Amino acid sequence: MANRLLEVNNLEVAYGDVGALWGVSIHVDPGTIVAIVGANGAGKTTLLKTISGLLKPKRGEVFLNGVPLAGKAPEAIAGMGIAHVPEGRGLFRQMTVLENLELGAFQPKVRKHFRQSLEKAYTLFPRLKERAGQKAGSLSGGEQQMLAIARATMSDPSLLILDEPSLGLSPIVVQQMFSLIETLHRQGVTILLVEQNIHQALKVADYAFVLKTGELAMQGTGADLIADPEIQKAYMGVLEVQ
Amino acid sequence: MTLNIPPPDILLQLSLNGALGGAMYGVAAVGLSLIFGTMRLIFLAQGAMIILAAYFVRALFYGLGIDPFLSLLIVVPVGLGVGWLVYQGLFRRAAAEEDRNISLLIAVGLMFLIQNLMTVVWGGNTAAVVTSYTASGIEILGVRTSFTRSMGFLIALAGTGLVVLFLRSTLVGKAVRAASEDMEAATLMGISPHRVNAIAFAIGISLAGAAGVAVATTFPFNPFAGFIFSLKALVALALGGIGNVAGALAGGIILGLIEAYVQYFISGGWTNAIAYGVFLAVLMFKPEGLFSRPYKKA
Repeated sequence: MANRLLEVNNLEVAYGDVGALWGVSIHVDPGTIVAIVGANGAGKTTLLKTISGLLKPKRGEVFLNGVPLAGKAPEAIAGMGIAHVPEGRGLFRQMTVLENLELGAFQPKVRKHFRQSLEKAYTLFPRLKERAGQKAGSLSGGEQQMLAIARATMSDPSLLILDEPSLGLSPIVVQQMFSLIETLHRQGVTILLVEQNIHQALKVADYAFVLKTGELAMQGTGADLIADPEIQKAYMGVLEVQ
Repeated sequence: MTLNIPPPDILLQLSLNGALGGAMYGVAAVGLSLIFGTMRLIFLAQGAMIILAAYFVRALFYGLGIDPFLSLLIVVPVGLGVGWLVYQGLFRRAAAEEDRNISLLIAVGLMFLIQNLMTVVWGGNTAAVVTSYTASGIEILGVRTSFTRSMGFLIALAGTGLVVLFLRSTLVGKAVRAASEDMEAATLMGISPHRVNAIAFAIGISLAGAAGVAVATTFPFNPFAGFIFSLKALVALALGGIGNVAGALAGGIILGLIEAYVQYFISGGWTNAIAYGVFLAVLMFKPEGLFSRPYKKA
């Protein structure tokens, strides 16, 4: 398809023993939520890090709007419109909430819209406005995750990548997180989401890919995969026990 | 054994001189702190850069008749440029490597190169800048002290203040702080590691230039005096907490006070041994520095 926002072809990445990728292909269409699910060590984070340029692939290609990202530094890829919220959030904990948001709009072309972006972020995350002057490290886990996502939206990205946004959050906050993801989606943000909370992820996702030990095991719409007996047996059963 | 408690005016004199001298370690430490922040590199050539700047100040004074304090206007901008070039020329490639040992070796190599080049150009003997006001004193808090030392203190204070202002109130300064905290997350914001490293080097070396002015006007120096300066700056850095710019200046002042007290109460021979002993003790028992509170994990 010509109008794919993100296209990943035959990606091969060597990354220690766990998390390597062996010929993975995925794609994200504009305006959709795409989920990548799978067990620990299946290579989900490796895939995201390779897309945003933090890891270099051995083989394969990544295209953003048809432009190859090969050999580009992560800061250049960020400038091209990919905002990656890494696992562990990557907040500047010693800096204030507002400073974190300012750095989200660091790139020159989004810097001039800082006021509007900040207004938008504060509307979506009123809590952050109250805490603007507080150090990011002093926020609760849920607030930190909100800040990480808000910071990523400050660059008005064409693709928002979220790595395990529900990790370490209480069930209520996880619910808030997913409804927030849906709100962003309704505002037209394209989202690539990695989750271990497979049931939730498939519920919000338009399309999903299942990774298993570095290879693509399955793909389909979120609804199809939720109904798939194999997925239910392999992943959701395990999760319900947890 | 009776401890001689000196009269208050002597104690004040001692403290003042210690603090004024220590500020010079402090300003060197601020440079180390910035470079360490973004690059995780201990820039051991900082002291040699300070001495190089001191020779430069001396050349400007005796060659062109430019007042040493006025030469700040030349030395600081030149330092910015030199720092930028040192990073782009010497460290850029090594900075891309995970392993920091290469960068450390480059810093050591640069230090020896500068020392030996200075020896070739200016000879190995002790040099000094003697102006009309070198021997003059001023009165602070009722205590007489050296004018040049006081100026050195003001330079250190102003330099550190400007750096703190830059780091806190400009977007690029915030990017430097962000990169110091988490370089990977910073690149995801679109911040280029090379750019922030080069900025850290530029500011670090321009501070070495400012410290060079303070050294040139206060002490006699020789091409090999810089290494001790690097070590003292490292002690100040550890005292103030690595990554804490204002703390680095404070660490230098504390080190200066320790040295002054040891010299008076024990003996001059003990100053270095005790300074490095304090260094090790801080690293062992309070590695985050004297001023930082342990950070609350959310």
